[in-house]
Amino acid sequence: MAMIEVENLSKEFYQPKNKIKTLKVLDNISFQVKDGEFVAFFGPNGCGKTTMLNVLSGIDKATSGNILINKKSPEKSKVGFVFQNYNESMLPWRTIAGNIGLALEIQGADKKKKKQTVEHLLKKVGLFEHKDKYFYELSGGMKQLTAICRAFAYEPELLIMDEPFSSLDYSTSRKMGLELLNIWKETKKTTLFVSHDIDEAIFLADKVIVLSQRPAKVKSIVEVKLPRPRKLDVLSSKEFFEIRNKILRLFEYEK
Amino acid sequence: MRNKKFYYVIVPLIILIVWAIFSNLKVISPLFLPTPQAVFLEIINLFASGTILPDIFYTLYRAFLGFIVACLIGIPLGLLMGYSDSIYYSLEFVVEFFRSIPATALFPLFLLFFGIGDQSKIALTAWTAGLVLIINAMYGVHLGKELRIKAAKTMRMSGFILFQKIIFPEALPQIFSGMRISISLSLIIVVVTEMFIGTNFGLGHRIIDAQLVYRISEMYATIFIAGILGFLINKGFIFAEKRVVHWKGK
Repeated sequence: MAMIEVENLSKEFYQPKNKIKTLKVLDNISFQVKDGEFVAFFGPNGCGKTTMLNVLSGIDKATSGNILINKKSPEKSKVGFVFQNYNESMLPWRTIAGNIGLALEIQGADKKKKKQTVEHLLKKVGLFEHKDKYFYELSGGMKQLTAICRAFAYEPELLIMDEPFSSLDYSTSRKMGLELLNIWKETKKTTLFVSHDIDEAIFLADKVIVLSQRPAKVKSIVEVKLPRPRKLDVLSSKEFFEIRNKILRLFEYEK
Repeated sequence: MRNKKFYYVIVPLIILIVWAIFSNLKVISPLFLPTPQAVFLEIINLFASGTILPDIFYTLYRAFLGFIVACLIGIPLGLLMGYSDSIYYSLEFVVEFFRSIPATALFPLFLLFFGIGDQSKIALTAWTAGLVLIINAMYGVHLGKELRIKAAKTMRMSGFILFQKIIFPEALPQIFSGMRISISLSLIIVVVTEMFIGTNFGLGHRIIDAQLVYRISEMYATIFIAGILGFLINKGFIFAEKRVVHWKGK
């Protein structure tokens, strides 16, 4: 059995002010994710990706359909969430180490374990020397790395990332991708990564789930059989372009 | 821009010069406006003789005590109103209504309940400052970023932990602003109430006494001292604010 099973997931929003009674955002979505798999969701802006993540992480309910994460409902599973807006999802009153430590504090970890975990992650991403800086003193890329470290420190069953790099510039977001894979390969956490950057989606993932415009349906599931560990030069390989074209062709007739 | 200090002193300096010219040339009668040098000498005299010290002490004592009581009641109440919608809707009208009553209009009522001594002054101060703190603590919670709470909820935080780790620190900058406003307000209320009844000491008492017997430079000197006290307290708060809620606006 797969680690994540999503079956016929639909979500509608009730709109009290609108004549059309409900707004359909997710339409009959089904997919499976294996343990340790890195899955990217690629789809147009506003197609309902964020809604899907809210439902998958258990902070919103589906209208119909089933979701099982390790055979449990989403509310009962442990999810590490990285948001696009790091400034509003992290804590500016805490230091870098303090922000990552939060994930351990709330689970009642003792001080020694907290320090070890935090320092290990910070060394891994090269932020150790900045550990005592306040969150607002960092650059955008460093802030998002801190957010990623917090999600890993939480030791989740499932990692969910909602366009984490889309407010960073091109080269920073590529670097972040490498850093992410670098921490990810250590634990091989099952990861769902939402992106509207096709290169990023292919570069990171084992498979790309392509979503349609709203209401989001699964258009196609594309396997990415590129070797790991991935290096940036994979971006210019023939295999990469083949996958890229295959995905882009899916959107050709959608207007 | 030129040196910051230049801009800082230029307008006060102009006011002082205009004041000195008008009063020394007796354009305005010294009965209304004494010369700056007379007021300055009076300030020196008040401090040298030490007669002003009990007044400063009592005014500050009442203002701070009222302010502390206001913090102890107003901040928790405001946080609760921000956190719980049912508490918010139960109390919103009452708080907004009481806040609309000019504080000094309530002084006779407070005199009735708390007597003419210190208690009524401190109680009115606490009342006024408390309402400001309730509102600010409440807004502090309401203005918090929704995403921060959503992020906390994905980590299954709720109840007191959510309050302690996210909501309270998020509200702190706004609480501090409220404290800064309400400490200034406390000083105002205390000085006004001291002018009425029931005390032999206090800056308000000295101001009204001096005016009644036409010791006009003493009146000006005391007003000046009250102003400087308010100014210093405010500066002190800004100093503390920058250190405690260092992340504000970042």
